[in-house]
Amino acid sequence: MKKTSFGAWLATFVVCAAFWMLITLSLDPQMLIAGAAVSALVALFAGRFFIHESPFHLLNPKHLFALLGYALLVFPIELLKANLDVAKRALSPALPVNPGIVKVPSKMKGEYGQAMLANSITLTPGTITMDVAEDEQGQAWYYIHWIDVAEGTAEEQGDAIKGTLEKWVGRIFE
Amino acid sequence: MEILRYVSDAFVVIGIFFAFAGTVGLLRMPDAFCRMQSSTNISTLGLYGAVIGGLLKAISMIVEGYELGWTMLVKIAPIGLFSILANPIAGHSIAKAAYQHGVRPEKEFVCDAYGEDEFDD
Repeated sequence: MKKTSFGAWLATFVVCAAFWMLITLSLDPQMLIAGAAVSALVALFAGRFFIHESPFHLLNPKHLFALLGYALLVFPIELLKANLDVAKRALSPALPVNPGIVKVPSKMKGEYGQAMLANSITLTPGTITMDVAEDEQGQAWYYIHWIDVAEGTAEEQGDAIKGTLEKWVGRIFE
Repeated sequence: MEILRYVSDAFVVIGIFFAFAGTVGLLRMPDAFCRMQSSTNISTLGLYGAVIGGLLKAISMIVEGYELGWTMLVKIAPIGLFSILANPIAGHSIAKAAYQHGVRPEKEFVCDAYGEDEFDD
């Protein structure tokens, strides 16, 4: 089993301590010390499960602003478009669905980037990521259940599903 | 801050609309996977309309000088954060488990790339 690096421990500790302060909402030193002690202990055990890659990747301002832009602007717009589309399908009398499972390639590298893109696709109504697999060449493939399958090659279908998401997630985890 | 309260009500109404559309889809969609697609409507904009509406309501209460607004804010913000982290994972595992357990729609899939490739796990 992988050992907990100091960076992973520190990052887990900070998250735990911040959450403790959030739920207790007090600056009483006794509470802070108790929280820090418990956080340190928890981070010692949980750090290696919580952090898999570089823990300080997002401290780079370029990545942080890409994340903020993605979370506050790009993703909500995609979410709104997809939500309107699926709501229209559900409320339309003809119920126009054409479901199928497609396999699309992805350029994302690394665990975090692939997981974030897969979760973004799942959160968008109309598409659910069913599995992510890598072939022998290291190329990631996403198996996606799609409510309205469009004709085309795997790349074209991938572009239709992922839209601008992949570019932005790639910018965060480059 | 009268205007903030109206905006917050508007967000709650948007949330209610998408929750309604999702529920209608849940009842009308033909098979399990399509029903899951429709339920994503509820768990994204349905939930987020309510969360953003609640946040704005809390902020308007803080601005008006009610202490209660802070506790509301601290409760609503983690709900939004954790639901957006947990929702896609739950949706993904339910869909995958249903497929591997042998759930198939009555009307055949247009294409089924997942079934064509063999998986060990």
